Amino acid sequence: MREQQRKDAVWRFLTYAFVITMVVVMMVPLYWMLVAATLPQEQFLQFPPRLIPGTAFLDNFAALQERLDFLRTIRNSVLIAVVYTLLSLVLCSMAGFAFAKYEFKYKEPIFYAILATLVLPIQLLVIPLFLLMAQLEWTNTFRAIILPWAANPIGIFLMRQNMKSIPDALLESARMDGATEFQIFYRIALPTMRSSLAALAIILFLFQWDLFLYPLVILESADMYTIPIGLAQLTGFQRIYYDQIMVAATLAIVPMVVLFLVLQKQFVSGILAGSLKE
Amino acid sequence: MSGINITELDKVYDSGTENVVAVEGLSVDIDHGEFLVLVGPSGCGKSTTLRCLAGLEDVTDGSIRFGDEEVTDRRASERDVAMVFQNYALYPHMTVRGNIGFGLKLSTKLSGDEIERKVESVAEMLGISELLDEKPKALSGGQQQRVALGRAIVREPSVFLMDEPLSNLDAKLRSEMRTELQELQTDLDVTTVYVTHDQTEAMAMGDRIAVMNGGVLQQVGSPEEVYRSPVNRFVADFIGSPSINLLTADVEGDTLSGPGKFAYELDDSDPVAGHDRVSVGVRPEDIKVVESGRNAADVTVVEPMGNENFLYMEIDGHELTARVDPTVRPAEGSRVAFDFDETALYLFDVETGDALKTKTDSVDSAVVGATEN
Repeated sequence: MREQQRKDAVWRFLTYAFVITMVVVMMVPLYWMLVAATLPQEQFLQFPPRLIPGTAFLDNFAALQERLDFLRTIRNSVLIAVVYTLLSLVLCSMAGFAFAKYEFKYKEPIFYAILATLVLPIQLLVIPLFLLMAQLEWTNTFRAIILPWAANPIGIFLMRQNMKSIPDALLESARMDGATEFQIFYRIALPTMRSSLAALAIILFLFQWDLFLYPLVILESADMYTIPIGLAQLTGFQRIYYDQIMVAATLAIVPMVVLFLVLQKQFVSGILAGSLKE
Repeated sequence: MSGINITELDKVYDSGTENVVAVEGLSVDIDHGEFLVLVGPSGCGKSTTLRCLAGLEDVTDGSIRFGDEEVTDRRASERDVAMVFQNYALYPHMTVRGNIGFGLKLSTKLSGDEIERKVESVAEMLGISELLDEKPKALSGGQQQRVALGRAIVREPSVFLMDEPLSNLDAKLRSEMRTELQELQTDLDVTTVYVTHDQTEAMAMGDRIAVMNGGVLQQVGSPEEVYRSPVNRFVADFIGSPSINLLTADVEGDTLSGPGKFAYELDDSDPVAGHDRVSVGVRPEDIKVVESGRNAADVTVVEPMGNENFLYMEIDGHELTARVDPTVRPAEGSRVAFDFDETALYLFDVETGDALKTKTDSVDSAVVGATEN
């Protein structure tokens, strides 16, 4: 018995040690970014590095704003990512619902064709997409950034898999209650999918938030820049403005963190519990 | 008001490579206010039939009429039917109130207040008033069942369809709900089609029973009719618990001789005229254990039920079940003589299974129903 307890304690110790190590490994760069954002450039480069936050955050921010309207960049990124996420959630959940719950001709081939597009890297698509956008005269617009990726294959796949778990009887029951097919989707299927939608929202938001190469090609004027492009501008030929980059990077993660905190509790709520007698 | 006519209903599933016939040539008329039970083994087409009535499945051929209205090609929502599903299918994200009111909200023009009033009166009728603001997952199985019923009742449909609604409840609750459902159906006077695989439930609840097998309707009749006068061996075997005893016997003049020296002399051999072999059926309650007789079997198990005993016996490897008085309790392993009246005898064609003779004894119809519970 005591032997068993000792074993358990050792295991618990190892588990915690591992988890704490992982947390430290992940948090250190983040912490360093936060600290560096508050230091003037010369202190940033000194060795040993200073680990206590300084007071130069606002100065660094002012310098950043002067070089590049970074608040506008953030606004652009948020706008694009929010619109994209909402639009993509609508499209992916509708497509996923159709693939999961309806029968139609060539359903499987169409679905696998959509999945197959996943193997095409963005780099391959950038040039044809740019040419298309140029013909549409959509270059340097947000819609050119948002629309090509709106029907996201990962999103469609994810929603299809999750919607398959909705019992048919639930939908049939709504059908008998007089719901139209769209009402069935909107009032029955979607609310039961809340946690999947939250997870997908984060994936989609992050995808658009991090997108670099494609916006770089499409967006021409500085007032249209998104955060990744804005950050890239801070690396000059002569000099790298670490202090400003760190301020910008710190600001750039704020919307992501907020989104995650807002949606976090949706992941854990088992919304389907209790709908059916097991 | 509305009875149901089903005429020559066919339902064929096209699975791409082959066609699966789920229902074939089903015709039945259901009176207004009648409680019809569709019963049969799993895969017999009873649920498919119900889903065709509901409008959840397209009909391959044939027609369905509710009262004077042809509804074959109508959508589920246009048929004025309500259905209770086996697993209740409650909307998990809505309260009980929302679940019951959902149909009214979508398919009627009632105001919010009127819907609220109706929901509350139905909830009161079912004794779930205090649960109106709970979500389904907070309810017990029996309560969920009531909500599912409430959702059907509140719409005041012309037809109720129920797909094994009691099969997820425990035995005690099931028999309570059985009674309650019957009372409710009588009060509401709504034509009801009820699907079950449980023949006891069918016997207990149905005004009439429709027995299906392999997609084909075998017989429609009152519980007593299908029990006493089954049209074929399948119905005789399916209806009744414990099941009827069946033996195959050779016809030698007036005598039926079967396995293990089984022999029975017929007073009236007209039913077997022209047959060399027949299936012989005797209900367990018609087998009498006697002091001495022509036929004997080995007792393998005795199940005392309190008010009666079930004797499981063997005759040359064929099982026989007898339902006897609690005072009759032979030792397991002993050999007992048995007999039965010719009036209680069923005879079936060996090949087709068609009934040649069914019960001819006179029994008060009420008694037959009661013994089935």
